[in-house]
This record gives sequence, C-alpha cells and structure tokens, in this order.
Amino acid sequence: MNPPLLEIRNLSFTYEGASFPVFERLDLVVGSGEFILIKGTSGTGKSTLLRLVCRLNKPQSGTILFRGRDITLIPPAELRSSISYVAQVPQLVDAPVGENLLLPFAFRVNRKKALPRHEDLRAMLDEFYLDGVTLEQSALKLSAGQKQRLAIMRSILQEPEMMLLDEPTSALDPESAAMVFSITERLNTSRKMTIMTVTHSDYRPETLKGVMYRLENRTLKLMPE
Amino acid sequence: MNQIIDISTGKLLLAFVFIIAAQASSLFYHLGLHRDITIGALRTFAQLFLMGYVLTYILGSDNFLLTVAIFAVMVISAMSIIKGRVKEKQIAYILPTFLTMLVTYFATAVFVSGMIVGTTPWWEPRYFIPTGGMVIGNSMSAIAIALERLFGELRRQREVVEMKLALGADYREASSDVFRNAVTAGMIPSINAMMGVGLVFIPGMMSGQILSGTDPLIAIRYQIVVMFMLVGSTAVTSLIVMLIIRRRCFGVGEELLLSPR
Repeated sequence: MNPPLLEIRNLSFTYEGASFPVFERLDLVVGSGEFILIKGTSGTGKSTLLRLVCRLNKPQSGTILFRGRDITLIPPAELRSSISYVAQVPQLVDAPVGENLLLPFAFRVNRKKALPRHEDLRAMLDEFYLDGVTLEQSALKLSAGQKQRLAIMRSILQEPEMMLLDEPTSALDPESAAMVFSITERLNTSRKMTIMTVTHSDYRPETLKGVMYRLENRTLKLMPE
Repeated sequence: MNQIIDISTGKLLLAFVFIIAAQASSLFYHLGLHRDITIGALRTFAQLFLMGYVLTYILGSDNFLLTVAIFAVMVISAMSIIKGRVKEKQIAYILPTFLTMLVTYFATAVFVSGMIVGTTPWWEPRYFIPTGGMVIGNSMSAIAIALERLFGELRRQREVVEMKLALGADYREASSDVFRNAVTAGMIPSINAMMGVGLVFIPGMMSGQILSGTDPLIAIRYQIVVMFMLVGSTAVTSLIVMLIIRRRCFGVGEELLLSPR
C-alpha cells in the first residue's frame, strides 16, 4: 500500500520566548489529490504549520513524512520543488512578468525541467485571470490580486506535487479573492493538484469536496461538511 | 637631507589643534561626536605610544614568539573592533571570523615579508609587524562592512530570500544577490584606494618612508606591494568569512535563521 502524500505525526511547535506551544502533538494525513482547508484565528499557528511542512521553519519535535520519507532526509531544494509554498504576501522580483514566471528554472533543482514556452505562458495567464497582462510588463506594477495569482501560477510551473497556500486572499478584495479560490479549486479538480490552504476567512470550497479543519486549542479538529 | 626632524612634546601637543577644530565643528553643528572624538584622540595617543614602546622592545629583542604573539594580539583587537561594530546576537560569527583572519593575515604577512621583501628570518619584526598591521587594519574594515551588510540585507530581504527558497533555490542561490552586495561593499574602499593612490593621495606608509629619508623610487615599490597585498588579502579574507557566515545564517534545512529585529 502506498503511503499518504503527507503525514504529520506528533508535531509540536513553540515560538521563541513563548511559554506555551502554538500547537502540540498535532497529527494530519493528506492523501494525493486532496484539497485541505485549515481555518483558525490569527496566531493559532496556521502559517507556521505550512512553513514547517516545507522546512522554512525549523522543526522542534514530531515527524513530517512526504511520500513516506522523513522530510528532514530529503534535500531541502528538492523538497521545496515538490511542495510549493506561496506566502501570504506574494513576493515578486523587480523584473518583467515573464522573468518572474521563469525564476524557478534558474535554480539548480529545476534546471533539468523543460522551460515553458512563451505561448504556453500567455495561455496560462488567461487561465489565471491575468488576461491583459503581458510577459513584458513590470511585475511590480500589478495589483495585489494580480500579484497573488501570478505567484500561484509561478509555483505551478515547476510542477510540484503539492501546493501550500498561506492566507492567499487575506489582502484581497472579495472579487480578487473569489478569483484566487476559483483558481485553486480548478487546480485541484483539473490538474489533480494536492492543495493545503490556510485561511481565517469564511471561505468554503464551492466546486469540490474539500476536507476542512479548524486549528484551535493547539490541535487540528475536523470540521463537519 | 636624510636627517629626521624629531617632533618635540610641545609640538606634539600642538597637533591637538586639529582635535579642537573637530570638537568645535561637532559642538557648533550638534553632531554629537564630541565624546567619540575625545575617546578616539586619547586612544590614538595612548595606543600609539604603547605600540612605540612595544615595537622598540620587539625590534631590539628579535624574538620569534614575541613577534607572533604581538601579531595575534593585533588580530584579537581587530576582532573586538568588528564585534563592537557588527552587534549581531543571533548568528555565532566571531570564532570563524577570527580564525579566518588569523590564518589568512598570517599567510599574507609571511608571503610579503619572507618572499617579496625577502627578509631573513621571514618573521623579521621590522617588516613582519608593520606588514601584518596594514593587512589587519585594512581588511578589518572590509569585513565589518561586509558582515553588517550581510546580516542587515538578509533581514531586510527576508521575504524575497524565502520566496526563492520556496521555489526550490538552495541557500546559495536564494542569497546570491545579498552575498555579492556584501562582499562588494567591503571591497570598494580598497579598490578605490588603488584608483586614487599617487593621484589623490600619498599613502601613509610611503609618506612615512619618504619622511624618514628613503628614496621615493624605493618607497613606491614598497607601496605597490602594499596596495596589491591589501586588495588581495581583503578579497580573500572577506570572501572566506562571508562564505562561512552566510552558511551559518541558514539552518540544516536551509531555512533562514535570522529573525526580524
């Protein structure tokens, strides 16, 4: 039997200088192709959980397995190329949109992957509600919503097995937020992309059946459908 | 012509006119530098007098261990000045920086003193100590600037560095811009000095040699060796220190360890 895509066992984490752990002995199993939504108020450790999965934060205790392998045994760049993390505030470099999209391919771990063609990128921009945006224009001049969608598109290009979205709509107006959620649901249904997203909004997936958890009292609780 | 004019104590005190001018400027324009200028002036006075007596003793003694010990004290002092300026608490940078400085400066001083100038023995204090002093003094500033820039930029650009890590970059790729800027910032004063030497200014060592009666054509040869030595040793030392310390800014999982201040 194949191991689950991601398995978290007994994970605990305490911020430096804090007296109580933000979460304690947390367990979670994510199957391939699942859409996991984790809700919780600010400061409950949602972002930290995602950052621990892709090793942007140093683990303290517990185990995280990716495809059955302890993530601490997977070379970090390889892990992050397979589990792509998109931060709450999307970061783009001061360069044209096209250069931003191809940024992951400048890194050693992605160099053997086929470089996307410009016509494919243009078609994808439409798919990500970025019609009207050109590959040549400056990425930093895009709106907050466009930047977020561009950041998600950039992560997809390196074909990760799983995406971690950290409050992807927290800084967006309702219309832009709806676009982002529509994209993530589409990525899950049409590309079978495993998605784990955290949010403190009231969002519930509309076009698919996701698994929803609430992070409170230092642990994850399954929410009723 | 070769007779050196001694500076009497009275005339030496007259040089304090320059310090008084600096103090007046600070007070008049509320620069808040009067304390630093006073301490700096007193330290210059005391440290150089102390060094003068120590050098007189060492040059006369021809003692290998004493020469090396003085060299080590100079590197320790440089490290303590760097520590005072960089003020980084999270990353343990002091020991690796100190060891790198000790080894590379020693190698440079041995090479210049023993091979280029060709003194016998290679540790001849008259050459070895001043050579080491110039290397340490020059490179110390470069390392302090580079370290400050490295820690500061990694903190300021934390989100960008983490974005690159999240896209599959290893720690070197994620921090390459910061690394390059830090090393370059440290190197610029040495490179500028090479550009301006002989045109904009006459370097201290060359001036000293000329004042003490050395033929300027010999003095320039020494100065060329010194300029090249300073650029080379600064580049190599800064680069090694930066490579080691940059790695220390990232954890085992190549996560950025520097937290925002």
